[in-house]
Amino acid sequence: MPANLHDTIATAIRSVLSDTGRSADVIGAESLLSGDLGLDSLDLAQTIVLLERSLGVDPFRTRPADGSRPSLRTFGDLCSAYEVAAAPPDPHQP
Amino acid sequence: MNVTLAAAGSASSPALSDAAMRRVFDSPVEDRLATALTTIAEAAPTRTAVVRNAGTDKPTAIDYGTLAARLVDLEQQLDEARPIGVVARTDQVESLIVLTAACSRQHVPLAILADDAADSGHELDDWLSVDDTLSIPFTAAGSMPRGEFATVAPTIWVATSGTSGPPKIVDHSWESLLAAARLSSQWHSLTWLLVYDAKRWAGIQVWVQAMLTGGCVVVPASRDPDVVARAVVDRQVTVLPATPTLMRRLLTSADPAVLATCQLERITLGGEAVDGPLLDQIKETFPNAGVSHVYATTELGEVFRVRDGLPGFPAHWLTKPLPGGARLFTRRDGELLVQLSRDTAEVATGDLVEQRGDRFEFVGRRSDVIVVGGAKVYPKRVEEVVRGVPGIAEARVHSVASPITGELVAVDVVVSPGFSPDDVRSGMLTHCRHELESHAVPRIVTFVEQIATTPAGKVPRR
Repeated sequence: MPANLHDTIATAIRSVLSDTGRSADVIGAESLLSGDLGLDSLDLAQTIVLLERSLGVDPFRTRPADGSRPSLRTFGDLCSAYEVAAAPPDPHQP
Repeated sequence: MNVTLAAAGSASSPALSDAAMRRVFDSPVEDRLATALTTIAEAAPTRTAVVRNAGTDKPTAIDYGTLAARLVDLEQQLDEARPIGVVARTDQVESLIVLTAACSRQHVPLAILADDAADSGHELDDWLSVDDTLSIPFTAAGSMPRGEFATVAPTIWVATSGTSGPPKIVDHSWESLLAAARLSSQWHSLTWLLVYDAKRWAGIQVWVQAMLTGGCVVVPASRDPDVVARAVVDRQVTVLPATPTLMRRLLTSADPAVLATCQLERITLGGEAVDGPLLDQIKETFPNAGVSHVYATTELGEVFRVRDGLPGFPAHWLTKPLPGGARLFTRRDGELLVQLSRDTAEVATGDLVEQRGDRFEFVGRRSDVIVVGGAKVYPKRVEEVVRGVPGIAEARVHSVASPITGELVAVDVVVSPGFSPDDVRSGMLTHCRHELESHAVPRIVTFVEQIATTPAGKVPRR
């Protein structure tokens, strides 16, 4: 369910930030991961590992067949990636 | 006859005569273990050779007389069956000792495979499996290919501990197996703790050393620190060979009151790098014990032994051959190379060293390196920093896979009693950020009851 996913991901981000005494007032779909929330690549990697432990999925583990990489600029991008990964498989796909 | 002891007994015994020991040490190398058992049994048949299940209320003691009797029986069977090789499938160390002594004197190749040893491959298909009963089934013997009593001493196959890859089986000469045994009188009739697996190189060195010198091998019922501590006290263990990881666990988790009554005389560390803080902790807990650490690999055997109580080894050891003739070299990236003798090639050990002052200290294995976003992190260094945080009893640094950075540094932490995980966690992160570069700071912290160790008593890194 999207609302819970949003909260889970936001919680993971806040936990990573608090490790270094940082915090974020607002985490919205348009919040820039780096620019607004101050997450560097290590912070992001840590967040993804934490989310794998709580959600059981890692949307970034395998690249899609078309070689594209999911866009990871905003919090909304991050949530979308998890929505896709956590969704049940499409029965109409081969 | 096996004797179950109801109360703690002393393993100390009258000294063996010089003549008896001379007979052992002068015997051909492949006869030596068997000669030791027989000679000592003649002089002192009730002297305890092995104590199993130590550290509990019901230890079991086996004396030299028993070992010698089983040896006679087994050698007879081997002589009749003449198998082309034997695979040791024993669980009890006393059986393994007798089997090894018998095979070596009878010139039968022997494979000692630890339980997780890789598939031995077809070359051992025709070999005979012998278990704790030490009996060769009549029918099996009859159907097996028969070997000759080779005039050349046979080889012995031992599985490596597999920290640098899956376990593999390495063949050794009896000479190399016995080469590191210390035979001078100061080593006679001591009591040795065996926490290593009796079927791996480190464990084999302990029981070979003990048997050749009329000593006693004490096997604790488990590696639980309290059981180990109790075994040391109950059996008056005088020599403690251990990995730094097992030593740390003993120091941090066993009852300090029990540790204070241990009468250890010697502590020998090996298998992993030793650091200054550990040596200091050992000196504090066992002030009367001499501490040495051994640098050895299954392929090379023992390369050197450091007895000065400091970590690493003196830098000047690189300038000339070691007492045994081996030479040490370092590569520019810090890897230690060993050349055992003039006519052998330099062997890359996979261990990295760093010069600090007039010593070289071990930084960790090259294969342990964690690569975070392209930057290298050595887990041993991070562990040293983490262990300096109040409230952390034990720590293990390892890697976790990460899609963005390749790997991340993770740490498993055992919290000391009386400290809260939350406080310890924030204290640790603050300290690490202060002492380490940001990519080396552990990002994933897990609190555990006990640090995971490999069967060999070392810390895994993956």
